[in-house]
Amino acid sequence: MMGMDGGRRMFEQESSKAANIGATLSRFAGYFSKTWVGVAIALILIMIQTWTQVIAPDYIGQAVDCYLFPQPNSVCWFDPLALTTDMTAEAKIVGVGSIALILLGLFVLGAVLAGMAFYAMSASGQRVLRTMRLDLFNQLQRLSLNFYAENEAGNLMSRITSDTEQIAQAFSFALLQVIGGALLMGWLAIKMFQNNVAYSLVSLAVVPIMFIATVWISNQARRAFRKTRREMGSVNAELQENIAGAREVQAFNREDETIEEFRLVNEANRAANIRAAAFTSALNPVLEALGYVALGVVVIVGGLALLQDTPVLGITGITLGTVFAFVQYVQRFSQPITQIAVLWTNVQSAIAGGERIFGLLDVPEEIADKPNATLMPRIMGKVEFKGVKAGYQADQPVLKGIDFTAEPGQTIAIVGPTGAGKTTIINLIPRFYDVSDGTVRIDGHDVRDVTMQSLREQVGIVLQDTFLFSDTVMENIRYGKVSASDEEVIAAAKLVSADVFIDRLPEGYQTVLGERGSGLSQGQRQLISIARVVLKDPRILILDEATSSVDTRTERLIQKAFERLLEGRTSFVIAHRLSTIRNADVVMVLKDGEIIERGTHTSLIADRGAYYDLYMSQFRREEQGEEAPAPSSNGAHPIVAVPSGD
Amino acid sequence: MQAQAAGRQGRGRPARSRGNGGLGRAIRYLGRHKGTNIPAYIALVVATLAQLAVPQLLQNMVNAITDGFTARTIFGLPALAQPIAARAAGYSIDELQSFADNGVTFLVNATILIVIFSVLRGVFAFVQAYLSEATSQGIAFDFRNQIFEKIQRLSFSYYDRNQTGQLMIRATDDVERVRVFIAQGLILAAQAFLLLIATLIILFLTNWQLTLVVLPILPVAILVFMIFGIVVQPLFVAIQERLSALNTVLQENMAGIRVVRAFAREAHERQRFTVRNQAVLEQQLQVARTFSFLFPVIFLLAQVGQAALLYFGGRQIIEGSLTLGNYQLFSLYVVYIFFPLGQLGFIISLLAQAAASADRIFEILDAKSDIEEKPNALTLTQLTGAVEFKDVSFRYFSSSDPVLENVSFTAAPGMTVALLGGTGSGKTTIINLIPRFYDATEGAILIDGHDVRDVTIDSLRSQIGIVLQETNLFSGTIRDNIAFGRPDATDEQVIAAATAAEAHEYIVKFPQGYDTPVGERGTTLSGGQKQRLAIARALLLDPRLLILDDSTSSVDLITEYKIQKALDKLMQGRTSFVIAQRISTVVNADLILVLDKGKVVETGKHEHLMEHSAIYADIYNSQLVGDAELTSEMAAVSAEGTTQS
Repeated sequence: MMGMDGGRRMFEQESSKAANIGATLSRFAGYFSKTWVGVAIALILIMIQTWTQVIAPDYIGQAVDCYLFPQPNSVCWFDPLALTTDMTAEAKIVGVGSIALILLGLFVLGAVLAGMAFYAMSASGQRVLRTMRLDLFNQLQRLSLNFYAENEAGNLMSRITSDTEQIAQAFSFALLQVIGGALLMGWLAIKMFQNNVAYSLVSLAVVPIMFIATVWISNQARRAFRKTRREMGSVNAELQENIAGAREVQAFNREDETIEEFRLVNEANRAANIRAAAFTSALNPVLEALGYVALGVVVIVGGLALLQDTPVLGITGITLGTVFAFVQYVQRFSQPITQIAVLWTNVQSAIAGGERIFGLLDVPEEIADKPNATLMPRIMGKVEFKGVKAGYQADQPVLKGIDFTAEPGQTIAIVGPTGAGKTTIINLIPRFYDVSDGTVRIDGHDVRDVTMQSLREQVGIVLQDTFLFSDTVMENIRYGKVSASDEEVIAAAKLVSADVFIDRLPEGYQTVLGERGSGLSQGQRQLISIARVVLKDPRILILDEATSSVDTRTERLIQKAFERLLEGRTSFVIAHRLSTIRNADVVMVLKDGEIIERGTHTSLIADRGAYYDLYMSQFRREEQGEEAPAPSSNGAHPIVAVPSGD
Repeated sequence: MQAQAAGRQGRGRPARSRGNGGLGRAIRYLGRHKGTNIPAYIALVVATLAQLAVPQLLQNMVNAITDGFTARTIFGLPALAQPIAARAAGYSIDELQSFADNGVTFLVNATILIVIFSVLRGVFAFVQAYLSEATSQGIAFDFRNQIFEKIQRLSFSYYDRNQTGQLMIRATDDVERVRVFIAQGLILAAQAFLLLIATLIILFLTNWQLTLVVLPILPVAILVFMIFGIVVQPLFVAIQERLSALNTVLQENMAGIRVVRAFAREAHERQRFTVRNQAVLEQQLQVARTFSFLFPVIFLLAQVGQAALLYFGGRQIIEGSLTLGNYQLFSLYVVYIFFPLGQLGFIISLLAQAAASADRIFEILDAKSDIEEKPNALTLTQLTGAVEFKDVSFRYFSSSDPVLENVSFTAAPGMTVALLGGTGSGKTTIINLIPRFYDATEGAILIDGHDVRDVTIDSLRSQIGIVLQETNLFSGTIRDNIAFGRPDATDEQVIAAATAAEAHEYIVKFPQGYDTPVGERGTTLSGGQKQRLAIARALLLDPRLLILDDSTSSVDLITEYKIQKALDKLMQGRTSFVIAQRISTVVNADLILVLDKGKVVETGKHEHLMEHSAIYADIYNSQLVGDAELTSEMAAVSAEGTTQS
């Protein structure tokens, strides 16, 4: 019903097309542009830092050329007098010392600049991450419940945690180092080409091979890692399932089989990882070896040209100085190349992470306030469904035309088998989903015309699955009304008789509840969640009556709490208790998405329709299935154990 | 009730003892993988030694060019000037002649040698990296298997105290941290040590005076890195803490998204998230600030040596005690000292993380299961189903209040025992003691006269069918889940059990029938469907003893009826213990135990208790009669209907 299919499919696709890579990178750029000052500062700083690295070897060269090993053809710009005059040893030492001091100064400058650049870049990156996480979280708050039904929470969570982390790793100081390295390489290349074009071409012939090798190896590695992620997913699933179900495993004596199953999955994970290791282990050695090959080429070509005085490969004009210079250049080339290779893989996973993040951010919001949505005035409680059709998938309508009107203060009991559409009906009232046809009106307002905030503030819901936050009991109840005082919270707890067990908790209302409210029994959790709704004091109440795993006394308390809650509000109850059904103003019997009968308990029994059959089948079972036990002291017939609603 | 006890303990988390040598024990696991580990370290030594040879080989290559070029230059001079020039260059004429004749050969040889060496080094470096990775994956494999096996065999009280998520983190994140340390940290440390020592030896042999110039930087660097490790470690811990606070908000938000929406509390949630998100950012910035001071220091330390070397080495050259070639060689080797130092910070941070993780791993592996089989435990033969509790008392933790106190009763074979009582009265504890999920603190539980602690756990549990409060389905088909306790069951047996449990009807409605995948990645079953599956599972075992936490969750009336029918079948002819929620079960029970605060306050049959027990009558009237009245009305309507038709 929600035009959701397109969005969902888009979200699931994690395409790796080049166009997507471009789009993803430009969106990264969009995020970084918000902190462009930091990025710009970092870039400027790293350029200056690279410059200090570039000129430092020149100074060392000057020490050699001016003082340590002056040759007739040496160029000494640092101390032009050094070559022409006969210097004393002391003067030379002073000269070398001053160069050493300049070097030290350059190193200090470079270090400080690197530190500052690091901070500027990290700060920008972390700010971008914060914004991304917040955008993702906000998006998750906007997406419909249908989306949550379709997507695993763990999967969604990993977008906010691990995918952003990958981006942090790629767009960090390492990126700056690579930019610095690239600048260095560019500068080196210029120097080399200025010196001797042909010799440069031969010397750098290996560089393209290095890039090809890097790309090939990292592509292979990426494929291998994709498999390791799948295998690790299986390991996690197996762990999750069997740790959560460990009690059952033991109850059924299945430890050995389970352990063996895990061993298999674990083994597959190991094998996939070792296979991936073959590629990751290869990258650095291959690049290093290629670096030495380049060096060998430089030396052989240059050496032969020098020693034989004949052009090798047509290269001319090589001097001893040229060869030495090239040996140094080529050596300095390999570090940036290795850095780039490492970052290349990081950037790839960042792009993959980015695609997943933006995929989530781009899921269209199905249920949103209209631009001109009005505030829902105080609800009187008239609820109308007119020709309502709805379904979770376009081709499978769950509701096939529902019409009814609930007057203010009425209690509507909804009964019917699983899958009849009971839950869908109650989900439409607070607009958790939208109808595909027809309208839902409250006090005459279409729920799509008012803001969701103002609507949901006045609708109270007690869900089947009680959810408590890991916070104090007090705060968990206060979740229903932020502004409530402690006294109001306690009064609400008292009203539902939750105060008895809360007072017995180690720290009373200040007791912190654990994961999903553990530490409390099901029934206690349900009482807290009912107190929450009592505190909220909603105008319309929605109740999914099923209680699970509750002992008889707690059950009684819950039922009483429900009764108090129903008073004076329009209420919709997915009913499991006879008492509720009997007290309801209207009972609607649902089947296959349609209301097949409606009336009161008494009138429906008298009608002898589907509702009647439902109870007859229960009743006959009781009579035929069991011998009649002795009548109890108060005269009630105990075989009447129909659906006690557990 | 055990939930409450767990809650009390849970806040304490598993005790985390620091530095109990977990990492040392983890490293000892290397011994299990000698086949890959020893070759890895041999390859490491070879690759490192090859690396040490590289500066020398490079120098040889440069020398070959320089010498050959010098010879050519000198022989290019007039014959008379040659000896003087040769002397100036420091060579004899014969040497120069040999350079001139063999210069090209020397050059080619030196170049081939360095290429061969580098390829060799590359091969060994690859072998080392690959085998280290394989070793570490093997260790991670071992750890995960051991953790998993341990968890499967621990007693229920361990699950009460530890959350699934926490246990999973140990088998995944913590194992990974230890693995990364063993694959990278340990190897890097070994390599750094080897390189450092060997380089120092070479440097001392080459020029000890110059070595002394560089040497003082070493202790300073090591000190700086130690401080670095000490300062940075807590910062990372803080980041982890703040990240997990952020994740908690996130996880709760997503798990409770319906509550968030129902109460329109998105703004509040956004606020909670923003606060934690900001806290993470601030901590990250704090780390960045610290690093922006520490990084430059590391940079600088590695480079100060070069400046010092230039000055002191330059001085020696000018004074004539050092050649330029040797100076260049020396400065190449100095790089090898500072290179490993630069990695020290990284190694320390890996080490600190791995140490904490290893301790957490061994916490699980060392956990003592409260339930241990006796060495001479008996194998139980086919049970008749007599169960006796003799003065049984039970505490979840030695110090806490007793959950059960002096409980005694006897159930004859075939009896149905109904347990009644409020939350915390001890019902669940009683049924958990029978299959020995926990051991009694005092007293004894006898089955067919055998103390449950004297028999093998396998033979005991294989004869007890259990339907727990919450049914967990495992990944696999419906058939797999029904045959969970008896994987060898035939299709006919599975179908028979499902039919008896009233599950067959809904199962065959799935397109894939019994082959429908369920569990995490499969079809979602409703609460009622799950419960009938659990009943089928217990039926297939055909146990002599049946334990039933009889509470149906969120089911409609028809399903409720079907479950009741299935349970009735299940209980026939077996000794059954039922935490009863249904009046019919209670009324029909052979023995009703009314529990209050861990004590059996009343026992007997329904009629007896109605007359003699005020507590039972009270429970009956408050809970059961409400429904009884309604249904008697129903009975009236029905009777009317029957007479009319």
